[in-house]
Amino acid sequence: MMLARVADSLYWLGRYIERAEHLSRLSSVMLNATLDQTDSGVQAVWIALSAVGEPDVSSAVGSFEAAEALALDRSDPNSVVSSLARARENARQVRDQITTETWERLNLLYLKVTDENARRDFAEGSTTFLQDIIADLHLFKGAADTTMSHGESWRFMMLGMYLERAQLVSRLLEVCFAETPGRQINDHIALVSLLRMACALEPYLRVYTAEIEPRHILEFLVFDEDFPRSIRFATSQIEANLSVLARRSASEGAGPERIAGRLKARLQFADINELENQGAGALLTSVVNECARIHEAIYETFVAYPLEMRLPA
Amino acid sequence: MAAKTQDLEAPALPLNEAAYLPGVAYDEMFAPGGAVRPHYDPLHARMSTLGGAELAGRQQTLERSFLLQGITFTVYGGGETTTERIIPTDLFPRIIPAQEWAKIEAGLTQRLLALNLFLADIYGEQQILMDGVVPRELVLGAPSYRREMQHIFVPHKAYANVCGSDLIRCQDGQFAVLEDNLRVPSGVSYMLANRDAAKRTFPGTYRAAGVRPVERYPDLLLATLKSMSPEWRPNPQVVVLTPGVYNSAYYEHAYLARLMGVPLVEGRDLVVHDNMVYMRTTTGIRRVDVIYRRVDDDYIDPLTFRRNSSLGAAGLFNAYRAGNVVICNAPGTGVADDKAVYAYVPEIIRYYLGEDAILPNIETYLCREPAQLSFVLANLDKLVVKAVGASGGYGMLVGPHASQKERDDFALAIKADPENYIAQPTIQLSTAPCLVDGRIEPRHVDLRPFILSGEKTIVTPGALTRVALKRGSLVVNSSQGGGSKDTWVLAEDHHANGLGGARP
Repeated sequence: MMLARVADSLYWLGRYIERAEHLSRLSSVMLNATLDQTDSGVQAVWIALSAVGEPDVSSAVGSFEAAEALALDRSDPNSVVSSLARARENARQVRDQITTETWERLNLLYLKVTDENARRDFAEGSTTFLQDIIADLHLFKGAADTTMSHGESWRFMMLGMYLERAQLVSRLLEVCFAETPGRQINDHIALVSLLRMACALEPYLRVYTAEIEPRHILEFLVFDEDFPRSIRFATSQIEANLSVLARRSASEGAGPERIAGRLKARLQFADINELENQGAGALLTSVVNECARIHEAIYETFVAYPLEMRLPA
Repeated sequence: MAAKTQDLEAPALPLNEAAYLPGVAYDEMFAPGGAVRPHYDPLHARMSTLGGAELAGRQQTLERSFLLQGITFTVYGGGETTTERIIPTDLFPRIIPAQEWAKIEAGLTQRLLALNLFLADIYGEQQILMDGVVPRELVLGAPSYRREMQHIFVPHKAYANVCGSDLIRCQDGQFAVLEDNLRVPSGVSYMLANRDAAKRTFPGTYRAAGVRPVERYPDLLLATLKSMSPEWRPNPQVVVLTPGVYNSAYYEHAYLARLMGVPLVEGRDLVVHDNMVYMRTTTGIRRVDVIYRRVDDDYIDPLTFRRNSSLGAAGLFNAYRAGNVVICNAPGTGVADDKAVYAYVPEIIRYYLGEDAILPNIETYLCREPAQLSFVLANLDKLVVKAVGASGGYGMLVGPHASQKERDDFALAIKADPENYIAQPTIQLSTAPCLVDGRIEPRHVDLRPFILSGEKTIVTPGALTRVALKRGSLVVNSSQGGGSKDTWVLAEDHHANGLGGARP
């Protein structure tokens, strides 16, 4: 049993944490890729900015300015600092639900990115700054994992995290592999950057060796059963958390767990040949849409349900 | 002696009487002759061995820990300039001997008992008003008087379940009550956080001193709240009601909910149906039995009180009236901590308990009485004048520190609405040693102990000591730049001697 508002905050806490980590990684990979003056670097910038929905990727801003904005622009709701501020605001709302260890990790990070010296620190060592954020977020997740009870509050947080992850990875892959003419990425260095943006380079190499091919990348990031950032993995986590939560809920009708179950099954029984025949774009778009439907269903079931249904007779 | 162990660059720590320069006020650490009071011996010895740099480092660690825990209040400056600050916290604990505490404990228990009987009476038969002990219009005309509370049954007659009275130590060394806080007193989380910090800062001194623990406060609070629910509701569902994350005491609300293990709810989480209160959970709605509300009376129920408030729940008061939920503290308790009613508390104690007040009041002039009004107007330069309805150091004139113009303006305000003002002589609050800019200096302090009242009345053996951080200032409110420090209540006084060599 937990307050509906609290479940909502924990869910968003999970989403914003995941978003902050993803944005930090895109920003960091983008900066690294442009250290060498090559066309691949330009492609990496294009992938990163397209994946965060930057409307005009051809604009003249340098990669440093773009990375700085992605990290520290407080006026942009889709920056690392904004995501962390929102994550912390949600954590503050549920301060009685999360452990001190978890809260302090997040608060420390928030204080770091909102510090008046943050811009200077970023300018002096952008990569270190971004890697530290990622490492601190790993500490947050580790603290949460090892100190919080893995009950309802935990599951709402995980739900938010994996939903956000499924959507972010789908969008990243859509940018690179949707069937828009002239957009297919084949360049080796750009593909390595893509794997890095998905935090997937090393696990990929262990499965496919250094033969970096778009087909394999798609297969790995969509279908791999064990890799925590594959869409299939994220979807099965969403389904697993929802089915536990649904068992406790008094709701009837098509709950979010059914939508998640269908999506999970679809990814479980499809393979790369099917994906290539039908076109990657269609599948990736439908993952994004199904995630949005799950999100709405979560609200209808757990948070904003009509009271008349639940009042005592 | 102290200087030998200091770094060369560290500022000198003047720990002898001459350099510490206590003023005319009673000092908590030094007796008038310059001798260290015995119960301060171990701490004094410890302070003397630490150099300025070491103390500054420990102070920094302490502040950092408060910031990390989020024990902060928000300073709004618009846009990116919104920042969070900690309430300044001083490193050195304030120490109270066991014998003195025994008197404080007895005095506060007596006082709260009488005030609860007073509340039960004025919301019941009103015998005290009929007997003319307290003027009828003073009580029934007070803005904090809630006629809606008339004839409502309150278990154990415990209207104020949580009370935080403000005590001061006067020049003669005696404690007196400055103010009772019976509405939604805050600060208990700072008492607990300060204790955590003090244990880390002076562990050896703490252990050797024999300090009474305060850590049981959350479970005693929970037991007190549960004792307010009717017996036929076994295992009652308790919640803490907060105005939300933007309230300056939000940290405390979340802290208490977390340590009691009960939900922290906002008004929007509550639903009233058929005079029952429910909270909206992920698995449907769930009955609520006891609400520890940290929302003022005016905001708890828009149907009964302030209509435009969204902080409470519509229908809550009717559910309370019907006996289906308990609100702690009971609505309407504020009338007993009204600054004008305060003047009558010694009479109230005598009336209900047939005893003299153990802890004295500060002499108080009521401007509503013509003779006292003319005295106040003639002596504005010597008095502190307070608006009856205001709190937190607002609506206040500190006569000796005010300009002639400020006094003239205040005189006009008093004449326009004499019922709204009381005056008290300026009291030199006692001073305690504080670390200020790398030096140890005396600063004025008060004392806010916390008293729980339900089936039983319990005074927590500890308190929040509030500190006026500006030199010479007597204003300790955090809204006026005050800080705080830990308060050590000693278990036994004979411990205090002979432990001067204690080391962490």
